[in-house]
Amino acid sequence: MTFEIKSDDVDVDAIMRMIRKRIEEKKQGLYTDEEIREIAEHRLDAVLDAHEFNSDFISDFRSQPGRWNYHFGPETIYRSSRGGVGGILEGIRRVLRPLQKLFWNPNPMIAALSRQSDLNTYYVHLLHNLAVEITRLNLEVQDLKNRNLQLQGRLEFQARREKTLEEMVVYREDSGVKAGGGGKPGAGGGGAAGNEPA
Amino acid sequence: MKLAFVVQRYGLDIAGGAEYHCRLVAEHMARHAEVEVLTTCAADYLTWANHYPEGLEVLNGIPVRRFKVKRPRDPGAFADWTDRVFRASHDPADELRWLEEQGPFSPRLVRHVARHRDDHDLFIFFSYRYYPTYHGLAAVRDKALLVPTCEEDGIYRLSIFPPLFRVPRAIVYNSVEERALIETVSDNQDVPGDVVGVGSALPEALDAEGFRRRSGLTGTYALYVGRIDENKGCRQLFEFFRRYRAETGSRLQLALIGKAVIEIPPDAGIVHLGFLSDEEKWNALAACDLLVMPSRLESLSMVTLEAWWAQRPVLVNGKCEVLRGQTRRANAGLYYTSYEEFREALALLESDAVLRSHLGKNGRKYFDSHYTWDIVESKYLSLIARASQIARAPDAGPARSKGDAASVS
Repeated sequence: MTFEIKSDDVDVDAIMRMIRKRIEEKKQGLYTDEEIREIAEHRLDAVLDAHEFNSDFISDFRSQPGRWNYHFGPETIYRSSRGGVGGILEGIRRVLRPLQKLFWNPNPMIAALSRQSDLNTYYVHLLHNLAVEITRLNLEVQDLKNRNLQLQGRLEFQARREKTLEEMVVYREDSGVKAGGGGKPGAGGGGAAGNEPA
Repeated sequence: MKLAFVVQRYGLDIAGGAEYHCRLVAEHMARHAEVEVLTTCAADYLTWANHYPEGLEVLNGIPVRRFKVKRPRDPGAFADWTDRVFRASHDPADELRWLEEQGPFSPRLVRHVARHRDDHDLFIFFSYRYYPTYHGLAAVRDKALLVPTCEEDGIYRLSIFPPLFRVPRAIVYNSVEERALIETVSDNQDVPGDVVGVGSALPEALDAEGFRRRSGLTGTYALYVGRIDENKGCRQLFEFFRRYRAETGSRLQLALIGKAVIEIPPDAGIVHLGFLSDEEKWNALAACDLLVMPSRLESLSMVTLEAWWAQRPVLVNGKCEVLRGQTRRANAGLYYTSYEEFREALALLESDAVLRSHLGKNGRKYFDSHYTWDIVESKYLSLIARASQIARAPDAGPARSKGDAASVS
C-alpha cells in the first residue's frame, strides 16, 4: 500500500481511512470473529428488546452481575452493610455463629445458593455463546448460499458456453466439408488437388 | 509561596506514571516556590508495605516527608471489596472501605495534611483514586489543586468520586479526553482547570548508533517501553506482532524495555532488553523506527511524548481515547482497534520511511508546542494563581457554591 506524502502534509485520519478501506477490500464480505460477536450481540439485543430487557444485556450482565444475579459466599449471611456499626454487628454474629449452629445447619443452604449463583452465570454465558455460535452458523449458511448461487450462475454460463462451442464445431465441420472437399488438414490434400484434372 | 505535593509514593527509584509525573513537576516547581512532598513510606504499589523510613529526607533538593502506611494491602480482602463495589449492589460506605483496602492506608499522612494546612499556600494532590488524595483533599479543600491522572477504568464512576472532582480549587488535566471524561461524570465545568500534562527530563545528546551496536538490533525495529504487563496490553501486542510476522514474512523486530511481569513468548522477533537507564532508554528511542503503545488505559503516556521528542512515529491502541486523540491531534502516528488495523498500520509504517519521518517531525512539533517545561510550568503557575485567589475567598469557591463539598468526608 502506498500513500502520496506531500511535504509536511501528512493526515493521520486520511491514512486511517485508507487503511480501513483496504481492510474492507481484503475481507470481501468475510467477517472477523470480533464482528461476528458484535452482530451476535445485536441480534441478541433485538430479541431481548422485544421482551423489554436491557438492550445491552450481556455487557450489562458482565459489568453489573449484582443487578442480574447475586453473589453468595460462606460469609454473605453474616455480613452487614452498615459501615462501622456493621463491623461490630459482624463481630457479634461471628461470636454467636457456633450457638446458632445448634439450632440449624446453614451450610447446605449456603452451598446450594452459592452453586445456584455460579450456575446462573454459566447459563447466561452458555446462552450468549450459543447465540454467537448460531449467528456464526447463520452467516456461514448465508455465505454458502451466496457461493452456491454464484456457482450455479457459473455452471449455467459454462453450460451455455459449452452448447455454443458445440454448435460452432458442428457449424465449422459443416462449412469445412463444403470448402475443403473432405480432405483433412495436413493429410496431403495438395497431392489430391494435384490429381485433379487440369 | 509554599506548595505541598501529596502523592501515594515518592522516590528516585519509583518509575510509576503518576509518581514520576509528580516528582518531575515538584522538582520543576521548586524553581518558583518553596516545595515539600508529603507521601507514604511505601515503595510497592501492590502491597503498599512500608519500605522507606518515616520522617524527612531530601531528594534532588526537595524535602520529602514520609508517613507510615497503617497496614499493607490484603490482596484477598481487596479482591473481595473490588468484587463488591464493581459487581454488586452496594452503598458509598462500601466504596470508602474499598478505598481503604486499596491503600495506601495512611491516616497519619491525612492527619498531617489537616494539621499543617496553614503551613502551605496550596496542596497539590496526585491521583484521585487513592486514600491520601481522597481524604487529604477533603481536609484542605479550599487550598487544594488536583492532578487526577484519571484513566478509563471505570473507577471514576464510583459514587464517591464525582463529588471529589467538584471540591478542589483547580484541576490539572493530562489530556482533553481526561477532562471530558471527568466533566461528564462530575459536571464540574465551573472548577478552573487546564490541560497541562507533563514535560520530560530531556537528554543532552542521543547515541542511536551506539545503542544499536550495544543491543545487537541491526534491522528495523519497533520499541515498547514500560512495564511488560497484561494490563498494559502486552499480551495482545505479542499475539498481534507474532501473527503479523508470520502472515507478512516481515523481519521487523520488537524490542522491549522494562520489567517483565508476564512471560515473554520465545520468538526470534521479540527481544527483551530488560530495565535500562534513562540515558539508554533515550538512545533506544532515537534508534528505533517506531514506538508501540498497546495500553488501553492511559491518562497520559510520557513515553509516547518522549518518542515524539525523538522524532519517532507511534503506533497506539486506538481503544484508548487519550492515546488515539493525542495521536490524531499531533498527526504523529497511527492507531489500531483490531488485528487487521494493526497489521495494515504496522506494514505501512515499516515499509514507508518517508511517512515515518514526516510523522516523527509532526510529533516533535506537537511536543515543542505543548510539553516543554516552560509551557508546563507556566500553565501550573497560572492555575496556582487562580486557585490561590479562590483560596483567599473560599466562599466564592465552585464546590461550595454547588453545595456538594459536604458529600466528600
